[in-house]
Amino acid sequence: MTQDAHTVKISKDLEDLIPTYLANRKKELDSLRQALEAADFEQIRQIGHRMRGVGVSYGFDDVTSLGKLIEEAAKASDKAALAKHVGTYGEYLSNLRVTYE
Amino acid sequence: MSDLAATGRDVAPQAAFRVLVVDDDPDMAALLAATVQAEGMHAEVVSDGRAAVASVAEAPPDLVLLDVVLPGACGFEICRRLKTDPLTALIPVVLVTALEDRNSRLQGIEAGADDFLSKPVRPEELVARMKTLRRLHETRRELEARRLDAEVERKDALHKALWRYVSPRLTERIMGAAGRGAPFRTDAERADVVVLFADLRGFTRITETIGVHNVVDMLNEYFSVLTEAAYQHEGTIFNMAGDSLLVGFNVPFAQPDAAARAWRTAMDMVSRFAPVSAEWRARFGVATGVGIGLCRGEAIIGNIGSPHFMSYTIIGDTVNTAARLMQMAQADEVLVAATLYESIRPLVPPGRAQARGEVALRGKSEAVGVYSVKL
Repeated sequence: MTQDAHTVKISKDLEDLIPTYLANRKKELDSLRQALEAADFEQIRQIGHRMRGVGVSYGFDDVTSLGKLIEEAAKASDKAALAKHVGTYGEYLSNLRVTYE
Repeated sequence: MSDLAATGRDVAPQAAFRVLVVDDDPDMAALLAATVQAEGMHAEVVSDGRAAVASVAEAPPDLVLLDVVLPGACGFEICRRLKTDPLTALIPVVLVTALEDRNSRLQGIEAGADDFLSKPVRPEELVARMKTLRRLHETRRELEARRLDAEVERKDALHKALWRYVSPRLTERIMGAAGRGAPFRTDAERADVVVLFADLRGFTRITETIGVHNVVDMLNEYFSVLTEAAYQHEGTIFNMAGDSLLVGFNVPFAQPDAAARAWRTAMDMVSRFAPVSAEWRARFGVATGVGIGLCRGEAIIGNIGSPHFMSYTIIGDTVNTAARLMQMAQADEVLVAATLYESIRPLVPPGRAQARGEVALRGKSEAVGVYSVKL
């Protein structure tokens, strides 16, 4: 995660959609944590796959990158890697600042 | 946006180009819908395959953005269904998929997808593809509209051309039966008909004393009056030769009141022609009138001629009798065969009919009962 203070510039056209989008990402993070606790790797894989799709599409490239890492770690049932990536995702969302252009 | 996806409500009802977004991920659906709307198009969102099929059936969109992995029927299956239905086959389908493997692409092509869009979606790429498909779709629609217009125009021209030769109802029947052969099928039919033959009295004098151009104009005027009367009562004009007109009733369509129709046609022909006749008398000094023969009986109706030239016509003793009666009729006189007269007696103005008794007609072995009605 290389963006300073996790600041992301998003197209003004999408401004109306972003609050719901971010709320869904937080729900997604909760789901990831629960699935990790339950070692439900298939559930984690699906979530990671979805993150890949919706990240860059909205301009949140890091969501896509993390989604890809999570999907791959889930396929490998690598709990340690997953714990690391989910932790990074939580940190990313906590510090995320969105500006519109 | 999850509510939007869940309810499938319309989000931009004013736009003409309609895009159906099918995606179970509410964020992706919202993004696609917003991108569509930003381009001035109308977006409708549904979140599963069954809703997509129902939406297309209810109001076919102009474009479908279809996710592949969906609850229920998958995107490939929905795409295949749309592309195999003639009603929806022309709707462009873009598969929006995160499946990157070659097999998935092949499946999409086999299902008939028009284009692919990879997730994550780049809005600018989506816009470019939508614009291309929109142009194609609109061009296709315009071509289809032109083809239909041309077809309507062609039928209209054919309609108008036929109207000059056969009655409006027969025209409708011919146009309606196009490709099925009727009523110009080769087999003839026997039918009980009422035949009206009309002829212009004084025509010989006209041709002897009036210039050719005037004669043609006069004939056109005369036939206009007579055909209008025939068509008003839904008679079928079978023949127009020289100055005579052959009209049939109860053919090719059943007319239970055929006798009354034929009688009213005869009266109308005489009354409509009266002012024309008066004008001709004033202009050219010729005395004219319409002589009419009416007969009822069996006749043969069908196509007579060769493969190169055919005439849809009516033949038989009934027609011959009507022709003979017409030849005998004076100006503004209707000669009615007794077999028909009984059917129209209540319609004949009192005191106008006169029984002529049994009359020997040329070419007929037996005499025919005839009534004369002077109008």
